[in-house]
Amino acid sequence: MTNVVVSVGADAVAPARMSPRDLAAEAVAGIFARPGRTVLTVLGTVLGIGALVATLGVAKTAGNQIVGRFDELAATSVVVTNERGFFFGGGDVRIQIPADAEDRLLRLNGVTAVGAMGPVDVGGALVRSVPIPDPLAQTEFQMSVYGATPGLLGATRGALSTGRWFDWGHSERADRVAVLGTGSAQRLNVTRVDQQPVVFIGDEAFVVIGILDSVRRQPELLNAVILPEGTAREVYGYMSAATVQIEVEIGAASLIAEQASIALSPDEPTLLRVQKPPEPADLRRDVEGDVNALFLVLGGVSLLVGAIGIANVTLVSVLERVGEIGLRRALGAARRHVAGQFLMESTAMGLVGGIIGASMGVLLVVAISATRTWTPVLDPWVPLTAPLVGAMTGLVAGLYPALRAASLEPVEALRSG
Amino acid sequence: MTVEAPVVELREVSRTFAAGDVSVPALRDASMSIDRGEYVAVIGPSGSGKSTMLNLIGLLDRPTSGSYILEGIDTSTLNEGQRAGLRSRRIGFVFQSFHLLAHRSVIENVLLSTIYNGMARPDRVPAAEAALVEVGLAHRMDFLPTKLSGGERQRVAIARALVTRPAILLADEPTGNLDSATGGAVLDLFDELRAQGLTLVVVTHDTEVSEHADRAIHLRDGRIEVES
Repeated sequence: MTNVVVSVGADAVAPARMSPRDLAAEAVAGIFARPGRTVLTVLGTVLGIGALVATLGVAKTAGNQIVGRFDELAATSVVVTNERGFFFGGGDVRIQIPADAEDRLLRLNGVTAVGAMGPVDVGGALVRSVPIPDPLAQTEFQMSVYGATPGLLGATRGALSTGRWFDWGHSERADRVAVLGTGSAQRLNVTRVDQQPVVFIGDEAFVVIGILDSVRRQPELLNAVILPEGTAREVYGYMSAATVQIEVEIGAASLIAEQASIALSPDEPTLLRVQKPPEPADLRRDVEGDVNALFLVLGGVSLLVGAIGIANVTLVSVLERVGEIGLRRALGAARRHVAGQFLMESTAMGLVGGIIGASMGVLLVVAISATRTWTPVLDPWVPLTAPLVGAMTGLVAGLYPALRAASLEPVEALRSG
Repeated sequence: MTVEAPVVELREVSRTFAAGDVSVPALRDASMSIDRGEYVAVIGPSGSGKSTMLNLIGLLDRPTSGSYILEGIDTSTLNEGQRAGLRSRRIGFVFQSFHLLAHRSVIENVLLSTIYNGMARPDRVPAAEAALVEVGLAHRMDFLPTKLSGGERQRVAIARALVTRPAILLADEPTGNLDSATGGAVLDLFDELRAQGLTLVVVTHDTEVSEHADRAIHLRDGRIEVES
C-alpha cells in the first residue's frame, strides 16, 4: 500500500475557536445549574457592595444635612465680644467697643444687620412695676438690665409681641424708655404698652414702649430689661457694649469675622474675641470623613469576604466538574476556553451581586433619610460604579479557580470525572 | 495510482509515563494504520496500553516518540490550539461513563459539541436533531439525561460525537457500564454507523464487542501482539 500525504489546507489545522456568545451562554448555564448555591455565593458580594454604597450615601446625606441646618442661623452669625480684654487688666485696660459700632460694621460689604449690647450695672437695684397692694405677691425682682443699640432687634432676628423697639432718637435724647423681654414682662405683670406702663429700676422710672416676644440669637434678652444705650449711659454710666451681634450674608462669615475686630478696634484688634461659624466645606468634609473611614473599612471587609466566597465556590465548582472539563477538552475546547468559562461565571456572579448590592444600598440610603426626614444625596458615580466593582471582584476571585481548571490534563480529568 | 491516505497512522509510537524516578512504558513502538470506513477493535487486558493508544489517537495525549498522522496531517507539528481544533472537527469520543451534563437536556448535551467546532449557529439545532434521530432518540430530545436509561444515555453520547460529522469515532469501553441487552443495542448502532461508512475504533476487553469489528488489534504490555 502506498502512503500518500494529502495536501493540507490551512483550514484543516485551524485552532479551536469559540464565539463570545457561546462562551457567555455556557457561563450562564453553569451559573443556573445550581441556582441555590449561586444565590448564596452572590450574597457576599451583595452585602459588600451594599455596605459600600450605603456608607457613601449616608455619609454624603448626613454631611449635606448638617451643613443645611447650619446655613439657617449659625452660618450668618458673627459675634464679637470684648470679655478677653476685660480679663487682661481688671477693667482698666478693657477695650471699649465704640458707640458707633453699628456704623463702622454696616459699612462692610456682606453685613446685613448689626447690634451692640452689654450688661448695665444698676448697683443691685431691684426692678418693680407700679405696686399693687397684694401682700402675697412678690413685686420686686432682681433682673439683668442691658444697654442696647437700635440695630440689635434686627441683628438678633427679634420679634415684638406689642409696642415698638427704640430708635437712635431715644438713645441720643437719653429718653427714659425700656423694652421688656417676654419673661421679665410676665414677672412684672406688664402685658400691654398702650397705657404707657412704667417700671422702676431702683428709684428710676422707665416707660415700657415694647415687649420683646422672641429672638433667634442672644436669648438672655428675653429675661432682661433693655434700655437704649444713651439712656443707660446717662443714668448708670454705662461705658461700652460687651457684645456685638453681626448678621452677615451666607458665605461672608469668614471674611467679616476677620474684618470686624479691625473695624471695631483698629489699634488692638487681637483683644477682641470673634466667634464665627465653621466653614461649610470643612464641616461636610469632617462629617463625611468620620462616617466614611469607619464604614468604608467595613464595606471593604464585606467585599473581601464576598470575593473569598466567590473564589471558594468557583474552586469547589471546578473540582466538582472535573469530568465536564475533561469532556469539553475532548470536544475541542482549548485551555483558554475552559479558563474563560469559569472566569465569566465568577465575573457574572460578581456583577449580579454588584447590581443587587448597589440597588439595596441606594434603597437603604433612602430609607435612612426617610426616617430622619433628610434629603437623600448620593454621588451618581457611586451606584454606577458599584456593579463594575462587583464584576471586578468576581473576576479577581475567579482567577485562581479558572487557572486550576485550565491546567487540568484532559486524560486525567476524563478518568477522574 | 492514488490511494486515499489512511485516517489514522501510527509510526513507531511510544508513550512513557514518569512515575517518580521510574519511567513506565505504556505503549512501545506501536505501528499501525486504520483506513477510512474501517471498524477496528483494540483489545487486551487491563494495563496493556489500550486507553493510552486511544488517547493518542484522540489527540488528548502526545506520544513520547514516534509520529502520528491523522488524515495526512503530522500531528506532532501542531500546537495545543490546533490539536484542540482538530479534535473539535475530526474526532468524536464515546466514554464508558457517558460524561453527559446532568443539568442540560438531551439536545443541549448534543449541541455542546457544536460550540467548539465553529459550526454556524443556524445549522446547529438541525444537526443535533438529525444526530438524535440517527441514534433513535428523536422522542427524548428535551429530557434530562437523569431520566434516561443507561443505553439511552450512551446513545445520547454517540449522537454528541456524531453531530460534528467526525472522521473517526473513538469509543472507550462503550458497553462497560451497560447490561448485555442495552450494550447489544449500542453495538448494533455501531454496526449501522459502520455500514454508513464511519471509521470506528472501539477499545474493549469484551470479546463479544470485538466480534462486531472488521479486525482487532491485540495489545499486551504496551506492544501490538497480533492484528487479526
